[in-house]
Amino acid sequence: MNQRKRIAITGVGMVTPAGNDAPTTWANLQAGRSGLGTIRHFDASGFPVRIGAEIKNFDAAAVINNPKLLKHATRPHRFALAAAEEALTDAGIRPTANDGHRWGFCVGAGMMAMDFSELQAAQKVSAPDGEFHADKLLSDDFPADPVAFSRNQTNSGLALLTRHFGIRGYATAVHTACASGGQALGTALKVLRRGQADYVLAGGFDSMLNPTGLSAFCLLGALSTDNDAPEQASRPFDATRNGFVLGEGAGFLVLENWEAARARGAKIYAEFAGDGNSLSCYRITDSPPNGDGPIQAMRQALADAGMTPDLLDYVNAHGTSTMMNDRSECAALRAVLGDHVGHVAVSSTKSCMGHLISAAGAVEAAVCALAIRDGIAPVNANYHTPDPDCNVNIVRGQSKRMRIRAALSNSLGFGGSNSCLIFRNPEEVQ
Amino acid sequence: MNPQIVFTGLGVVCGAGLKVDGIWDAIRHGQSSIKEITSWDVSRWPLKMAAEVTGVDNRTLVEDRKLHKMISRTDLFGLYAANCAVQQSGLLGHRESLDPAAAVQFSDRSGIYAGSGAANYGCNYDFYPALAAADGDLNKFGGQFSESVNPMWLLRNLPNNVLCHVGIRYNFKGANACVTNHCAGGILALAEAAATLRANEADRAIAVGHDTPCEPESVLHFMRLGLMAAETVRPFDQRRDGTIFGEGAASVVLEKAADAQARGAAIFGEFLGSGCVTEATGVLRLRPDGDGLSRAIELALADAGITPAQVGLVVAHANGTPASDASEANALRHVFGEAMPPVTGFKWAYGHLIAASGIVDVVFALLALRDKIVPGIPTLQTLDPALAPLTVSSAPQTPRSDIALVLCRGFGGLNVAVLVRAHP
Repeated sequence: MNQRKRIAITGVGMVTPAGNDAPTTWANLQAGRSGLGTIRHFDASGFPVRIGAEIKNFDAAAVINNPKLLKHATRPHRFALAAAEEALTDAGIRPTANDGHRWGFCVGAGMMAMDFSELQAAQKVSAPDGEFHADKLLSDDFPADPVAFSRNQTNSGLALLTRHFGIRGYATAVHTACASGGQALGTALKVLRRGQADYVLAGGFDSMLNPTGLSAFCLLGALSTDNDAPEQASRPFDATRNGFVLGEGAGFLVLENWEAARARGAKIYAEFAGDGNSLSCYRITDSPPNGDGPIQAMRQALADAGMTPDLLDYVNAHGTSTMMNDRSECAALRAVLGDHVGHVAVSSTKSCMGHLISAAGAVEAAVCALAIRDGIAPVNANYHTPDPDCNVNIVRGQSKRMRIRAALSNSLGFGGSNSCLIFRNPEEVQ
Repeated sequence: MNPQIVFTGLGVVCGAGLKVDGIWDAIRHGQSSIKEITSWDVSRWPLKMAAEVTGVDNRTLVEDRKLHKMISRTDLFGLYAANCAVQQSGLLGHRESLDPAAAVQFSDRSGIYAGSGAANYGCNYDFYPALAAADGDLNKFGGQFSESVNPMWLLRNLPNNVLCHVGIRYNFKGANACVTNHCAGGILALAEAAATLRANEADRAIAVGHDTPCEPESVLHFMRLGLMAAETVRPFDQRRDGTIFGEGAASVVLEKAADAQARGAAIFGEFLGSGCVTEATGVLRLRPDGDGLSRAIELALADAGITPAQVGLVVAHANGTPASDASEANALRHVFGEAMPPVTGFKWAYGHLIAASGIVDVVFALLALRDKIVPGIPTLQTLDPALAPLTVSSAPQTPRSDIALVLCRGFGGLNVAVLVRAHP
């Protein structure tokens, strides 16, 4: 087999419930400071679940000074614009008219972009009695706004960002629920290895923190109902965990060929060394108790990185804080890591920033890059009562200073898509 | 050297039928399935046409009735097409012939790539009774939605449902993705599946694209944007006035040629290469010069290691909108110059399947190569003089080689080109 191209992470950007940029997010994750709270940006007081992981005090115009562009951007698009801008600035390189065609774009994007106020306005005219009447769409009162239409297409975020940044190469959007961000990064890795691009802006964005998104997850019973203690509601791997906390945000990375990054003197956070991708083929919302599915994805990722499990020091777990997911993930970790399992620090940063759904995998990959750079495994907050079914080496109490040779990031989605990514410390790259 | 990747199963459901050969016959005989819309009363609508899948029982599409409650109409199409392709491939019988350990390995090395429409307006209507009852009071809505919204709402509407349920049905557990990239979704799923096999990240894969764009609110928006035709799709014609929605799904099974030959599978063609680029023009705009499409074609040619002269026919995107067809003609002239192979398009026959549009065209490009015929475009009466010279015809043409180029374009300035070859 051909020698694979080595791929470097040279820029990171984040807009998360733990902070509106990467440094703030990272500082808060290290300190174990929770970004969770009572939902404020709409009135959730009547909902069974009233807590979430919101982006707070975010001013898109301060980052993207372009009112016309922002008119075409939904709430999650704005997070994406800001996170991507931060990643490109951080990388110190961005597409130009000459090389825009050698830049790719891979993104994990949410399933529903329509703003709730638009939905309400549409309902008032087309379904005043609750039942939809197609003919009422033809009424002059129906708000058929072309700008809203173009904001709400499945690849509107892709269209907005590629246009804004001048990315003219390979461009794709993927959605595998909670694994979307990870799968987008995995796709980006392949695009770079195949030579379809020299640089890829890759990440994910999402916000289902709106009345319909919240309703949908409430109906499934997937969310923690700890309305009175939001900061402790997300407690992955703790025996008392009772569901995840819905979050929102965006994460982007700049990926490029290792040698090119070295040649231009770029700072390299980590090597993006491996991708593993499997389907559990079990149930839509559950992971198999024995970890089948995630096991194959983690093994593939290790093989892809040319690594044995003993070289792994840190796992950023999917760790949603639901009973089944955490148990299944731990079973998979134990199967894959074998005797080494006790030596690998495991934490779910969803404990501090909730579940960012389609953005989760991308944001958590960025966290891994920073963890490797600073030699810190961020704390798994709210972990107090061990669950015998989650018997892995969880980073409890406080973040742990440790050299990380390589980190694994897991994203395990509704529908059974598993995306496992491996990042290697640049000092480990010969 | 890339391993040779071949197609060993094909499946399609669309307005023109449920069987690949039957749909192909209709295309060859110039029969269109574009008719008046039946899924809602269009008597007052200025635009009334689509290529809907009508008269088909859900159980014909997916036998398991329990599943009907858990998925939506687009997923039924996706599952049906995938099943046709998988059954035709004979892969399941082959797996049964393996010893247990080899069968596990087989499943772990079998991938699935889906291209999903991923969104429609209709799914939001399930919230309308609760919204009407709450009358703007969010507090009330929060307390009452569970009385009227289906508890399975989120699961029914997951964009990756086909990926998941195809996986469960056949126990294909390998590399996978669900591409939600508007019209490019299905064809990119196919291209990604092929690339995955080339990179030896899987040994075989199902690719499937599915969509149900034909719903009133989408038609309304497309109509207001001037993208819809009054009667039919007339690609490259001077009277062309837009596109027409179709619905359905298409699926292919891809395998390494050596594996397919070793198990004696029927082979329907070979994947040669792909190219994908965006024009970075935003959601709706495209470049009049066809820059993105030219670049996608050139990347596909380079990926396949062939020259423009080796291309035997082109299945164009040909969606019938004035701007897309004009820029597509520019791209074809740019790439092929004076020596343009026969060009056709199929949307006049089964409408624009949006996320499934490119992958369904690949299936019929393979049949065009098999039968050595480039079907004519019956709705083409007078070629728009601004697009000439362009080698399109209302009459059948003959491919000049055994290689077909399939083009697909979508919102976001997306352009995808795929090259396939007939199998001798």
